[in-house]
Amino acid sequence: MSTEAMPPDYFSNCTHCGFCLAVCPTYKLTGDENNSPRGRLRLWSEEAAGRLPQDEWTDFYTAECVGCLACETACPATVPYGEIFEHVRHEHVASHRFKPKLALRLAAAAVTRPMLFNLALLPARLLRSAGLSVHRFLFPGSPSVLKSTAAYADELMQRHRPTGPRVALLTGCLMEAMFREINFATVRVLIENNVQVIIPDGQGCCGAFQEHTGLDGVETLRDQNRRAFGALDVDAIVSNSSGCGYALGKTLEPGKQVRDVLGFLGELGPLRRQRARCDGTRVYVDLPCHLVHGQKASGIPANVLDATGYRWELAPKAKDCCGSGGVYNIQKPANASAILADKSAFLNEAEGAPVILSTSNHVCMMQWHSAGATGLVSRPYEVRHIIQLLDPGEKFSIPSNSPQP
Amino acid sequence: MTSPVTSSLEQQLKALLPRGRVLTSAAQLAGYGADGLGYKNHLPDAVVIPADAEELAGFMHGAKSLGVPVVMRGAGTSLSGGPVAAQGGVIVHTSALKKIREINTEGFWCEVECGVGLNDLDAALKPHGVFYPPDPSSGPVCTLGGNVASNAGGAHCFRYGVTSNYVLGVEAVMLDGSVHRFGGPAGGRGPWREDWKRFMIGSEGTLAAFTRFWLRLLPLPEKVWTFRATYPDMKTTEAAIHALVAHSSYPAAIEMLDPRGVAMVESSQMACGLPEGSFMLLVEIDGPEALVNARVQSVAELLRQAGSNDVMFSDEDALRQKLWKARKAAGGLLGQLSPAYVVQDAVIPKRALAEVLQLVYDEADAANIRAVNVFHAGDGNLHPNFLFDSRVPGELEKVELISKRLMQRVIDVGGTLSGEHGIGNDKSAYMPLVFGPDSMRLQLSVPAAFNPAHQMNPLKVFDSRHFIA
Repeated sequence: MSTEAMPPDYFSNCTHCGFCLAVCPTYKLTGDENNSPRGRLRLWSEEAAGRLPQDEWTDFYTAECVGCLACETACPATVPYGEIFEHVRHEHVASHRFKPKLALRLAAAAVTRPMLFNLALLPARLLRSAGLSVHRFLFPGSPSVLKSTAAYADELMQRHRPTGPRVALLTGCLMEAMFREINFATVRVLIENNVQVIIPDGQGCCGAFQEHTGLDGVETLRDQNRRAFGALDVDAIVSNSSGCGYALGKTLEPGKQVRDVLGFLGELGPLRRQRARCDGTRVYVDLPCHLVHGQKASGIPANVLDATGYRWELAPKAKDCCGSGGVYNIQKPANASAILADKSAFLNEAEGAPVILSTSNHVCMMQWHSAGATGLVSRPYEVRHIIQLLDPGEKFSIPSNSPQP
Repeated sequence: MTSPVTSSLEQQLKALLPRGRVLTSAAQLAGYGADGLGYKNHLPDAVVIPADAEELAGFMHGAKSLGVPVVMRGAGTSLSGGPVAAQGGVIVHTSALKKIREINTEGFWCEVECGVGLNDLDAALKPHGVFYPPDPSSGPVCTLGGNVASNAGGAHCFRYGVTSNYVLGVEAVMLDGSVHRFGGPAGGRGPWREDWKRFMIGSEGTLAAFTRFWLRLLPLPEKVWTFRATYPDMKTTEAAIHALVAHSSYPAAIEMLDPRGVAMVESSQMACGLPEGSFMLLVEIDGPEALVNARVQSVAELLRQAGSNDVMFSDEDALRQKLWKARKAAGGLLGQLSPAYVVQDAVIPKRALAEVLQLVYDEADAANIRAVNVFHAGDGNLHPNFLFDSRVPGELEKVELISKRLMQRVIDVGGTLSGEHGIGNDKSAYMPLVFGPDSMRLQLSVPAAFNPAHQMNPLKVFDSRHFIA
């Protein structure tokens, strides 16, 4: 939809109160009101009303937005900023006012073909498994190189035969192709908690990649996932990445709610990991924007964080954006780094041995890892998905007193 | 497209601000057309964002020769059309001046730059066990510069007083670039000249650019109790307000939401179970724990005796937030109901409350305009919100007419125009209703003394304040 084609009411419930300024990462960075949600909405609405000609500065300020949606949480008038922004960004790309970087255009094409994408990233999985990942975004991990999450889940389901609630897991594109060890850990944690896990055939990328870049193809991906998830008879559809879960949630019809796997586990009351008394680990929990501002979750349940067995606390400014923004750290690396610098500074002084920065979105994990790789944080720390802190490892059994359906 | 005039202005500005930012493109000015009064648009010729206080002073040194109006702006949340370029010119956005320079817990004061956010200051003060009392509802985003310029208030000003009670000193830069300190950490306890800071507070950007302030702090109250009571009619509500004002517990805040506000909250996703058609009062008492705890039952009893059979109270943070919910949600909900609204800010003697509210209802109903009242009842600071759609021909005119009639009644009952929002260009037309020609002349002589050509924020407060280059 072009800005011209938007219904005039689209912008009308912004009363210009300015509450979004205080939470906007690019306004905080630049102090320029055009670089805030209120400013951008004004530019788009003035252009749509024909009072402001197309201007390269409008294109610039549009491209500056991280898409963190903190403004939606702050907005007393419930302006659907994310939806408007998505339309405008798509329009800017379609009309060549903005061109995503080549690497992102290639990646966007690749994620639409999961088989190909998995194959293309096989060398990357190999390198990560061998502990040879060198890119600033590639946090360490040991993904299975060949076995898929679907095959692994089948195997564990056969072996353990859980009897509790049934869930369908979204395995994602990048998560499956690059960070598969997180999917494996998710399957183990769910099954250990007596949850039946199915990995629906034919699922694909959630579409967030296209949404973040403004490129075409999001509807095709959404159709594919509607077919894969729409008719399932399950207790819940779960995702282990807040961004993917948010995107899939927008895809499926109301009633087919997509749950963040940690929120789902919170309701079950997950098994608690035991740690040695002398364990000096400290976990600092960061809340992904698309969990708290997109999915509007209040956070990650405390019983889930307690179940990690570690001493944990929320990272300072936990609800502020880390600068990842899906692909923002590739599209706007300088801004992303400046946002991260402010947010990650505490790690230099943080207590704990070791220190773990933990969150629930792989793209945020990549950004957090880059803080060390680019020298913003000078002391050692690990980046882990919270589900990994609950992971029982390969050898586990379902306790006999597990909750029944 | 930039005209030759603009490009020459741009060059001059760039010379004055080598480190800061200069915005002149059409799409860079559009974001600065309005403040919280979103439907009124005044485009500036340029916007500058000085990198720090030194650069702001440098800019002011050369600003006179620019020959265009100079308008100071913080977060632009004001509701009266204050920080907008009503006569064009340059907007000076102070977003980079956000350092908290000192928190002095021995002397109970702090030193802050003008662009510091109010809630950011609160968060920084809290670990020291001190607070800065003024609390306008825009706290999450508004800046202290804007607070001082409009002498901001808030819910707790009933007992604590407004911004002017807490400003110990102001550093201001005149249009010739000279930097002046009016007061300082020691406040007004100096030579007579010190209290010139009172000229600065509430001056709405018409005198000088502020760079930093010294603010008075208080120890955080040990204990806070929040009460919520609903009443069937205005008469019983008024009785409760009068009783509260006279009560020895001396509440910190007495807030009110009228039945139309209650209906708005209850039909939204923020519904919290308020009875239909009721008036809601929200009261807070605070102070030393033993003292405040001893007063809880008497306040609850007072609220009941005035005619409420629905009194709730708590000292637990989570529950207190729930009690505040309807009051806090009300402001934002207006935006969900209507594309635009005008909020008035009149202060009236409390005895006239029922009479003035009735006028608001009668006038709004007759004009078929929705009106919602949510306000600081304790100090008679009304905030009738008139909801309209500026795209519907005639609606704005209707609202302006109602506002004018309301203001006339406010003045007839002995009230005044503004309690905390400032006059800006939204209420300047009503100034002659309150002040006679002699008073207007005297007041105008103040900005004229500081900047004789009225180059600072022209067309604000007084309609006749034009800048003549």
